[in-house]
Amino acid sequence: MSDEQPAFWFGFEVAWAKLAVARVCVFGLLALDALDQIRHAPRYGAGGFNVAQLPGLDALGPGRVAYGACELMNAYIFVLAAFGAARRGALGLAAALYAWLYFGSQLDSYQHHYLVALVLVIACCVPWQRPAQATPATPVRAWAVRLWLVQLAVMYLWAAISKLNPTWLHGTALDGQIHGPLRSLIDATIGLRATAWLVVLTELVLAATVWWRRAWPIVAPIGLGFHLAIVFTGLEIGLFAWLMIAMYALVVPDRVWVWLLARLEPVRARLAGIALGTAARLGAIAAAVVLGIVLAALCRFEDALGLAIVLGLVVAGAALARRRTWLCIAHVAAIATWLAVDRASTIAVDYYKFWGGDARRLGERADAEHAYRRLIAIAPDDAAAHFQLGRVLLVQGDASGLDELHVAEQLEPDRARSLVLEARWLAGHGDRAAALAKARAAVAAEPGDREAQAVLARLAR
Amino acid sequence: MIDPLGHVVALARSWRGRFILVFVAIQLALPLTYYVGRRDPHDERFAWRMFSPMRMARCTPRFTLDGKPLALTSEFHEAWIEIAERGRFHVIEAMAARVCARHPGSAVVVTLDCTYLDRPPAQYGGYDMCQVPRL
Repeated sequence: MSDEQPAFWFGFEVAWAKLAVARVCVFGLLALDALDQIRHAPRYGAGGFNVAQLPGLDALGPGRVAYGACELMNAYIFVLAAFGAARRGALGLAAALYAWLYFGSQLDSYQHHYLVALVLVIACCVPWQRPAQATPATPVRAWAVRLWLVQLAVMYLWAAISKLNPTWLHGTALDGQIHGPLRSLIDATIGLRATAWLVVLTELVLAATVWWRRAWPIVAPIGLGFHLAIVFTGLEIGLFAWLMIAMYALVVPDRVWVWLLARLEPVRARLAGIALGTAARLGAIAAAVVLGIVLAALCRFEDALGLAIVLGLVVAGAALARRRTWLCIAHVAAIATWLAVDRASTIAVDYYKFWGGDARRLGERADAEHAYRRLIAIAPDDAAAHFQLGRVLLVQGDASGLDELHVAEQLEPDRARSLVLEARWLAGHGDRAAALAKARAAVAAEPGDREAQAVLARLAR
Repeated sequence: MIDPLGHVVALARSWRGRFILVFVAIQLALPLTYYVGRRDPHDERFAWRMFSPMRMARCTPRFTLDGKPLALTSEFHEAWIEIAERGRFHVIEAMAARVCARHPGSAVVVTLDCTYLDRPPAQYGGYDMCQVPRL
């Protein structure tokens, strides 16, 4: 028996270019996924109820604020990692936060989040930083990359095993789940049954080969095609298929990435050659901190500004102590990512909308009022927000709710709900004539609304 | 020639190797628990059962409090109700325990009716879960 460590793991090498590309693809996508999850933060801790993924952790699950802040923090670290500016400690923190968010509550049903929780632990052991004097083709020993690929193989294996039953193999399970453009293509060509068999076969082939370097030229197109096809199925699996595609950066043959990065090498060399004097370096650090704060102030995610201030100070300290100016660029890019995703999506609006709705249904009126006021602050033309705030205020006996209903009536003149609510409130406060007028206006605005008709009928008696 | 035992022994000599061993062993074994030891067929967590027929199970959890129907929406976030509608026993049991704790001395009867793609419909519970807390 040899004293040597098994070469299968510890002799495994990939080109530096592959690690660089995988870093950008995987962590970039994880950053987007983390920010996308913020909209679901209000469900965490709602009503004081939680069931953790692991026994004994129910009371330790994340709440709304912690969930939102941790996803923001993780998105930040993932962008740093994509830039190669996150060291093992930062990735370890992201892995720990991610594991807490995922294992802390069964509210997260996405299988790819379980996969991410696992691969983040592995990712802490991958040498993501560029070795000194490395070229794109420089081989880097990376046993953790081998483990990552073995993890994918295990996942494919069990996924295939789970499909070895008549319901899947006859195509019945696929029939109920697959939609979108791919469904039309399947129906018009090989049919569901053949597709079901093809899926099992593909998963078995990937399980047997995804970790095997010599098979990569064949496995990469198969795996990429498989997951790209899943994107077009219309399955509600979040970014699972996209994440798998990003992970295939580790499976695409090294020479592809070496060729690509060799084209970019002159740009990298030029950037690396920029030497800043002490004054310029201090100026760059200060500018990064200030710019980060400004960008965060424009961001509508809760706690973004506070987090940006703290992170700015940490980054400034690290950049000063270790002369890591690159970290400052990554810091600004990370917070710019928060802002870009916020402004290009409805995540912040959804967050407050869901929070308000959850709190209202669970009878937490103060929280509901706060959430709807915040929603109106960022989306003043959202009729539903004004209607819901009016509703919450009127339930609390606050007549200023009528003002919100009036705004909602103006924003959605063809909806009856605000007029109906106002009619009810007026009738309840003895102003029957005004209530009747509002009920008539409600029916006129939305003639098909049964509630409006019922209120009008009742008041007109 | 591959020597699996020698490979494992060699791995066990370093912390990295032990980490790999534990990681791979857990990942190979954990999904097996779905098939051999899990009492809840609806709970497919950690088993990599993507797009399985069980994912299409539809369940209707009905809670009564001292014989009267209980509106779950006023007690629990709708996301938990959705998980209960997938039939996950752990969650339904925790929901029942919560209602029992809020209403000491009351009877909380939970009935779970499920329909499946690959098996006949089934009913679970139907008894006071304050007395018998497991489905």
